[in-house]
Amino acid sequence: MSTHDRERDMDDLLREDGGEIGRLYRRLPRYEPPRRLDRAVLSDAARAVHSGKPPRRQRWIFGIGSAAGIVLAAGIAWRIGHDAMSDKSIIGPAREVVPVQPISESARRKHEDAAPAEAPAPAAATQAPAAARDEASGASPTSDAIRQSARKAKTMSKPAPATAAPPPPAPKQAPVPVEAPLPQAFPEAERHQREAGAESEESTRPYGNAANPAAQGATDDKRSQPAAGAARHRQGLSSPTPPSGSVELQRDMQLAPEAWLAHIRELMRQGRSQQATESLRLFRRTHPKRPIPDDLRPLLD
Amino acid sequence: MGSEKTDEELMLAYAGGDLLAFEMLYRRHRGTLYRFLLRTLRHRADADELFQDTWSRLIAARERYRPEAKFTTWLLQIAHNLIVDRFRRQRPQASDEESEAVFRTLDAPDDEQPERVLTEFEQRRRLQLALEDLPDEQRVAFLLRVESGLGLEEIAAVTGAGRETVKSRLRYALARIRARFAS
Repeated sequence: MSTHDRERDMDDLLREDGGEIGRLYRRLPRYEPPRRLDRAVLSDAARAVHSGKPPRRQRWIFGIGSAAGIVLAAGIAWRIGHDAMSDKSIIGPAREVVPVQPISESARRKHEDAAPAEAPAPAAATQAPAAARDEASGASPTSDAIRQSARKAKTMSKPAPATAAPPPPAPKQAPVPVEAPLPQAFPEAERHQREAGAESEESTRPYGNAANPAAQGATDDKRSQPAAGAARHRQGLSSPTPPSGSVELQRDMQLAPEAWLAHIRELMRQGRSQQATESLRLFRRTHPKRPIPDDLRPLLD
Repeated sequence: MGSEKTDEELMLAYAGGDLLAFEMLYRRHRGTLYRFLLRTLRHRADADELFQDTWSRLIAARERYRPEAKFTTWLLQIAHNLIVDRFRRQRPQASDEESEAVFRTLDAPDDEQPERVLTEFEQRRRLQLALEDLPDEQRVAFLLRVESGLGLEEIAAVTGAGRETVKSRLRYALARIRARFAS
């Protein structure tokens, strides 16, 4: 084949019909793509048009954003609920915290048991801490009742168990502990309580409500104890439990505020200034928001 | 009428969300593209794979299509790029020395070349064998011309080669085919 022929072939190939070689090529088998390829390509095209899906990376962003939003919402909801619970417990009246009934009931029962054998009950009450110390040191106590009272006073001085202790069978005869028949060991306190009750029925009413520990002790105390603790903590005060563990101070805590103050005044009149001072200090810690009367203020100085 | 639309109009319509435009475009070019791939690759599985890849790339790039480029050229450019990648992974190109040897054979006297007496069936068979034996670049250029009907400039645009290079490749391809008929 000459160069001329090759150029002629080239010209023929570049013609519209491709020349002789082009015509021969068109007689070759006309292969077509299989149908599965048609379906695959067309479905790709349709998916690209109709789905409108964002790229994979953007879908990740949406997913992460949704998860973060849910976590944030849950955190806010939890925080709001937590704050609401805290506010509720803090706002609750701190006065109702005072563990009233379990102490008085147990103390009263003990004193009732010991009353026939006891001669000077006030002395036994005031000597309870000493009896407890004696018992701890192995010294022989003067009386079983004193020992039991001291032991009770020690155990009840712990704030949390006092509220958590299951209340005794509801004393129907004594809905208000301060009005319940008191043992002979507390004749003065009984009298002051009754005086206070006569003076200010209004001030004793809350204690009258709280005097049914069988119904309220387990719920109110649990609810209000943290609140009282929080209030005392905010004021930098320690627990209102009597520092000396005195049964009489324990019993003072059961009094209504006005009655308690009257009792303190009575102690002063009797010349028991040390007892009055301790009781007033306990009063201030138990009722931190209540103003101290001017006539009693010198006891704190 | 949709059938009167040009390839470029259909492609723009598909880029705007018209799926029917794509289907029409696909029907127009599916056979040509497939045959080009099959005869270039000479392997059906490879042709199937690159056929789908070519359309997938076109679909993914639909929003970047500009009507300044002829649709056929764009489609075949995508396919050609895939072919070149495949060739690079599979085997080396035919050397120029091999092509020159073919031409020496072709320069034999006409009376020694009996192709004119071959039957049509034998001619088609020999053409097919000749295509298979062509170096890849020559085969691509030849197929772009006879299968897709592209001119020299369009083949140059698709393959990225110069116009004269394309013309040379076509000339070598024709010489090889003639040599096959003469053997």
